[in-house]
Amino acid sequence: MKVRGIGIGSMVYGVGYGFSRPDFASAEVEIAPDGTVTIWSGASELGQGIRTVLSQIVAQEFGAAYEDIRVISADTDKTPDSGPVSASRSTYVQGNAVLAACKDLKQELISLASELMGVESNLVEIQNGQIAAKDKIGKIISFSKLASEMHVQGRRTHGFGWHNNRTLDVDKNTSQGDAYSSYAWASQLVEVEVDTQTGRVKILRLASATDVGKAINPQLIEGQIEGGAVQGLGFALMEEMQVEQGVFNNANLSTYLIPTAADVPPIDSLIVEVSDPSGPYGAKGMAEPATIPTTPAILNAIADAISKRVRYSLASPENVLKVLGKIDGSGKEGFLLLEDIPYPVA
Amino acid sequence: MSDTQEIIEIKFADHRGYVPIGSSVIREDALAKVTGQAEYSGDISRPGMLHGKVLMSPFPHALVKHIDTSKAARMQGVHAVLTAKDIPGENVFGIAIADQQVLADKKVRFVGEPVALVAAEDPFIAAEAVRSIKVEYEPLQGVFDPLAGIKEDAPRVQEQGNILLHTKVRKGDYLKGFADADVVVENVYRTHGQDHVPLEPEGGIAWIENDGVLTIYSSSQYVFRDRKQVARVLNLPVNRVRSVNTTVGGGFGRKDDVTVEILVSLLASATLKPVRLVYNRHESMMTQTHRHPTITRVRTGATKEGKLTSMEGVVYGDTGPYSSLGIFVIKKMALHLGGPYYFPNYKCDSISVYTNNPIAGAFRGFGIFQSAIVHEQQMDELAAKLGIDPLEFRLKNCLREGLSFSTGQVMNEACGIAATLERLKEYMAEHSLRFSRNMEVV
Repeated sequence: MKVRGIGIGSMVYGVGYGFSRPDFASAEVEIAPDGTVTIWSGASELGQGIRTVLSQIVAQEFGAAYEDIRVISADTDKTPDSGPVSASRSTYVQGNAVLAACKDLKQELISLASELMGVESNLVEIQNGQIAAKDKIGKIISFSKLASEMHVQGRRTHGFGWHNNRTLDVDKNTSQGDAYSSYAWASQLVEVEVDTQTGRVKILRLASATDVGKAINPQLIEGQIEGGAVQGLGFALMEEMQVEQGVFNNANLSTYLIPTAADVPPIDSLIVEVSDPSGPYGAKGMAEPATIPTTPAILNAIADAISKRVRYSLASPENVLKVLGKIDGSGKEGFLLLEDIPYPVA
Repeated sequence: MSDTQEIIEIKFADHRGYVPIGSSVIREDALAKVTGQAEYSGDISRPGMLHGKVLMSPFPHALVKHIDTSKAARMQGVHAVLTAKDIPGENVFGIAIADQQVLADKKVRFVGEPVALVAAEDPFIAAEAVRSIKVEYEPLQGVFDPLAGIKEDAPRVQEQGNILLHTKVRKGDYLKGFADADVVVENVYRTHGQDHVPLEPEGGIAWIENDGVLTIYSSSQYVFRDRKQVARVLNLPVNRVRSVNTTVGGGFGRKDDVTVEILVSLLASATLKPVRLVYNRHESMMTQTHRHPTITRVRTGATKEGKLTSMEGVVYGDTGPYSSLGIFVIKKMALHLGGPYYFPNYKCDSISVYTNNPIAGAFRGFGIFQSAIVHEQQMDELAAKLGIDPLEFRLKNCLREGLSFSTGQVMNEACGIAATLERLKEYMAEHSLRFSRNMEVV
């Protein structure tokens, strides 16, 4: 018999390192004489798209063409230290550092522009690749012309930015305190079909409502959501390190199964934007939130379908048949009762 | 500038190609990747390059009595065979705590731990040389379960004891919270280990530049920490080491700490030739970090109106024999075990335990992946017991601006959990989806 069920998984994720661990990023931006901009960022591109996101931030700040931005990444001889790429922090922490670097360089640009245009610097604005005086229509200078003058007149053509995301520490005995500067949120819905004869679980549908604060590049976010969901699906249904007496017995892809395209259902990426004033343009971290809700949503959907719960996190056909009582599971190694695990004293 | 007139005459117009934030511009590395032009660590080579290979420990816990490398060293095409005694600096690394040996010295602590290194003219000679190294081990009792590892008489994985960190979260009065509860759900959960399986396994190449600078190109999440860790092991000033990131085929936390960077640096320094080492899938899975297996006991209470009153939990995390990021993964788990819900009372302990299992470290989700498996099933069971729709039960209890997290931190206007749940509610209505049955408590 095949039965269907629906399950939900939600999560909160404290972005960055928290509890006073060093959590900083630096960045530099440089304007060339033709108005093109180069970013020096220590953040590694892992495939997540940070180079694209940083380019978009700089393009926005200078009103420049996305194609005119170049990124030099993660080279200790060239780039400043941007901290690690982890903890869903890169868009948030490195993005803020790049914003700060843009601000630094813009001050230099505006200073020269105000001299050239003969207006006060607070009346100069950068917009759509041009520098204009707010109160005097017609006083406009092109970005490339100004950039060229920066070089000719010996102005500083590099901007530097640093963002410190270090928080206070939590109390040592109670862990009370403001541990993180930003939190990310996500909920997913999964529909499953369980074959009660074979124990096989098929995912029919997956919807991910992910709060990203501000979607700087919606397609990259969909990529993160889809990849994250597949990683969570793999964990729930097939990926398991089989370790016995310290030996990882299935340490090869012939026996350690990962999802293929055939295992992946249609995924609906539902982008939610609840702005975070501390993030660049309101953006939050979202890389890990993309994967966290998937496994619990699948396990809850299975329970909805069969009214039994897989408490051991792998919903393999064998484990599903065990909870259905079709094969014996009580003797399995690692089967634990409440009394096996006493709570530590208060 | 003299030609002020020229400035004034420029038309104020949309800049060519300008697109605002929020646009799905094509990722800037797309063309190089889809055309195969992007260079991953294994694509980079240098003239005269040698191939590195690692000899891995077959034992989870054993004393290393003797290593005989003489046969390997004599093989034609072999340029270096290195063991712990050949390390010029400190034989230690670690992303959070430097507690891991680069090459096993007196003891091995997991199956797969690197014991010796070879650089040879081709990968086949390197593999043959590694096979010819003779190591005499004296096997020791091991720890293979965190619950066994915390016992007084357990074998010591690390000399200072097997508990890496015990985190305590205490908010409100959890006993009073349970006294106020009409229903309580209590369970034990286990989560299993997972390999990151980045499509590109760990790899890198190192050589000495003409100016004497040790240069490393590798697949890495953080080159600045890589160079510091390499400098310490090679006994070099940090500014004599250059670390550069290649195109990376996925990291997911696996490449946060050094992977092969120190190994290729040791071989390049010993041979004065470029040396590349790219793990095959088996080596990658054996030597690198994984997702922490965990054991959790938890009880959660709510009133009959459906408001959460208290949570008590204890988590045991199996971190393997070295900390890697196991100190913070399991700490973060304690803070997040209640999930995105408001608990007026909260007590949670998490204990990160050294074992002789494969090393666990950072992995996308960082402990919260495991926490969510626990809190989301608890929420569904409570909802079932109370006869409340699971989604409505979450909306009733989720954190909102002004409510506090397990750490007492008060949420601000950026608190978005309710918005994600409301979005799913709309989605269910749009697609006429309903929970299929009244979930009984099982």
